[in-house]
Amino acid sequence: MIESILLVDDEDLFHLVFEDACNLLDITLTLESINSAEDAEALFESKYKDINSRPECVFVDLNIIGSSFDGIELVRRINFEHGNNVVIGIISSSNEPEEQAKAVKAGAQFWIIKSDDIEPRLEEFKKDFVSYKNRTGHFKVYR
Amino acid sequence: MIKFNKETRLQLLEIYKNKHIGLEGNILKVIDYDKEDVEFNKYLDESKAEDRDSRRKRLDITKQIQVQNNELKDAEKKNKQLMVDLQIALDEAKRAKDAAVEDLDTLQKRTQFELMGMIVKVALIVIIGVGSVTTVMYLLALINHWDTKLLETTWSNMFGILLTNSFSIIGTIMGVKYATEKKDDKK
Repeated sequence: MIESILLVDDEDLFHLVFEDACNLLDITLTLESINSAEDAEALFESKYKDINSRPECVFVDLNIIGSSFDGIELVRRINFEHGNNVVIGIISSSNEPEEQAKAVKAGAQFWIIKSDDIEPRLEEFKKDFVSYKNRTGHFKVYR
Repeated sequence: MIKFNKETRLQLLEIYKNKHIGLEGNILKVIDYDKEDVEFNKYLDESKAEDRDSRRKRLDITKQIQVQNNELKDAEKKNKQLMVDLQIALDEAKRAKDAAVEDLDTLQKRTQFELMGMIVKVALIVIIGVGSVTTVMYLLALINHWDTKLLETTWSNMFGILLTNSFSIIGTIMGVKYATEKKDDKK
């Protein structure tokens, strides 16, 4: 089980879906959901400044409406400006290979495609999580 | 992990038995319990099953709302696009109307100028005709030494009137032309 997860997504409804899906699938014990990329970055500058206090895994939406930068940029900043120490990836309804290539460049380890039926993808991700944690798993798109 | 003492265990079981209130959420995943304790095991299994059921129901409802929400967003997008298309069509119609009005204006102006030209022509013909006839008559009377008293006054009066009228016509035409040009500039 993943100890703690941070979800960055502008859609409040998806927070509920994600929380319930994680709960049903026993994915995590603690889940924090926030709506903006700025708030997420602020967390990494304050609450998560100490790398040991960070969530184990961060799910970032690609287009975070209302934020001044997108999910890929947030992934890049967490990886290259805030010292990483988290498993991080994108969760988005988009399946654009160009965007996925950009995400890999920014240091994303996975890409989960959002849809009405998110549980099977999360279940598959749960199985692969250890490899991401050990940095042995390659970038994967969960369709 | 959390371990309940005997008293708490008993209270939990009693609340569940009497009021059917069980533990919910992630707390159920961190309880350390005696695997031999059949009653508490059953309580935890039932609580977990109920929690799972309620989570499943909530997830289904949230998903439905999410789908409806997405449909609404799509409809809003389509509406916005329709509004844009409508505005483009409206602008095109306005441009077509302006062009038609301009064409009509040009046509009207041409007709006006043609009419003015005709008036000037007829007026000039009448002025020159009357002036010429009167002058010829006056000259004949002078050459033939006829009585010119009547013709003299008639000729000068006639000429005066004709000149006044011709200037009046030209003045009116110039005025109309100037007024039309000013109106166009304002447009």
